[in-house]
Amino acid sequence: MKAILKKLITMIITLFIVSFLVFLAFSVIPGDPALSKLGTQATPEALEALREEMGLNEPFFTRYFTWIGSFFTGDMGTSYSYGIPVSELIMDKLPITLVLTGIALVIMMVFTVLLGIYAARHEGGIIDRILMVVNQIIMAVPAFFAGIIICFVFGLILKWFTPGAFVSYEKDFGGFVAYLIAPAVAIALPKCAMASKLLRSSLIEQGNMDYIRTAYSRGNTTKGVLYRHALRNAMIPVVTFWAMAYTDMIAGSVVIEQVFGIPGIGRILLTGISNRDYPVVMAIICLLALFIIVANTLVDLIYKWIDPRMRDNG
Amino acid sequence: MKKKNWNLILGTVITSIMLLLIVVGFFFTPYDSQQMNIDLKLASPSLAHPLGCDHFGRDILSRVMEGAGTTFFVAIGTVLLGCVIGIIMGAVTGYFGGILDEILMRLNDALFAFPSILLALVFISLFGSGKYNVILALGIAFVPSFARIVRSEFLRCKSLDYVRAARLAGASHLRIMFVHILPNILPVLLSSLMIGFNNAVLAEASMSYLGIGVQPPDSSLGMMLSEAQTYLFRAPWYVLAPGVAIVLLILGFALLAESINKKK
Repeated sequence: MKAILKKLITMIITLFIVSFLVFLAFSVIPGDPALSKLGTQATPEALEALREEMGLNEPFFTRYFTWIGSFFTGDMGTSYSYGIPVSELIMDKLPITLVLTGIALVIMMVFTVLLGIYAARHEGGIIDRILMVVNQIIMAVPAFFAGIIICFVFGLILKWFTPGAFVSYEKDFGGFVAYLIAPAVAIALPKCAMASKLLRSSLIEQGNMDYIRTAYSRGNTTKGVLYRHALRNAMIPVVTFWAMAYTDMIAGSVVIEQVFGIPGIGRILLTGISNRDYPVVMAIICLLALFIIVANTLVDLIYKWIDPRMRDNG
Repeated sequence: MKKKNWNLILGTVITSIMLLLIVVGFFFTPYDSQQMNIDLKLASPSLAHPLGCDHFGRDILSRVMEGAGTTFFVAIGTVLLGCVIGIIMGAVTGYFGGILDEILMRLNDALFAFPSILLALVFISLFGSGKYNVILALGIAFVPSFARIVRSEFLRCKSLDYVRAARLAGASHLRIMFVHILPNILPVLLSSLMIGFNNAVLAEASMSYLGIGVQPPDSSLGMMLSEAQTYLFRAPWYVLAPGVAIVLLILGFALLAESINKKK
């Protein structure tokens, strides 16, 4: 319990550091938000009034705490280029990114376990060797190139789905999820290859340990030893990898959304970057950071659940 | 019988082919990569144009050679920048420890939790896009991962006998750090450099694909991919050429990194 509390406190501190760095980065850049909003034709009085209104005349730390305070109450500022609240702009896009990375996570986990266990049990066999080569190649394929190939093979040739025909989740949730499967596969593929390779070697390593021999000597079946003894220990590095992979997949979703024409967070982030729409960029970066940090904390907690040795020394 | 190290052999072969392509492309390309020829619009591969032509009738092979060069340049620049700052940070924090170590490592942890591509996107939105800004953005984004590795290696080495002997012999801290310890951690550093290189290739390609990385007239593999995607159905080979070039570039270095790791 104490360890959990400690983790939560670390998480909150990290969140503050990240948000502070983001705020700092966007404050020190040259350029006056009020000027860019009004244009160079603006009168000095109008500029001054707008600066006062936007709170730009306040000291740095006051501005930071106002910003972070309103961030948590859901007010993320107003977009420079659209003129509407940022929260309105991104809130209905958030589920898209969440569902996309969620599906990718599930695909990755299922295939890691299936392929990893299969390869480890048939170590040195023909399928194991083929899997190794295929894994090595897949690891080198960037997710967006995999996405383009998936578009071509399954979209244009096999016609399993229509690239670009995104279905909004408000209209048809089933169709929405179905459309996201292909992009989710694209982001999950390289991670899947890495994770199943890791699980394979981790399982093989566990297989040579003394406790496995002991387990066999007590009359356990291969299956029993594998699932009740070896797998649990072998999963520890894999779970760490999954957590890192998930954060990568969140970043990867920004790119993959562009490949499949999904109007998610990624697209707003990109237009925000090219339009120098800083409130939007700041809000999205902080939100993604929030996801990532919360996900990492969750993994640390799951860790303790898998591995009792970790429970005492938090 | 000694097992052949296929990783090393294949990695060397693939990397050499890509490097050859890049070096040759720097001095000579079969056609001018900017020359348009509307008659050859989306021409399929032929003897004159082995990889076909793009939507402006430009020779794809020439463009891939040049684009791979840009991607390579950006990746090397990124890794060097990230690595130099990372080594200095990691060496100082790992060797001296103390309050500076605490602060820098807390910062590092916060940044490390962040995918480097997102971090680079933040910097790009601050600096603007373009070849050199991408190097700067990615380079800074890569610092935490290098700093972390170097720091842990320095921590491990600083109490070893050879370091103590050097101290007794009167060597300065600076000399111990960079003349004694640094060469000893090179093998670890080398494989993480290669992995870093691969991540940089990946990140550059993704950013250029999104249109916020390298800008025209510089050509880049990622940018070619995003142009080619529009013509996916009419000219599939157009997508394949830059994509396969990226895959080979990454695969070659990944195999090399793996063979180094195995040797240890």
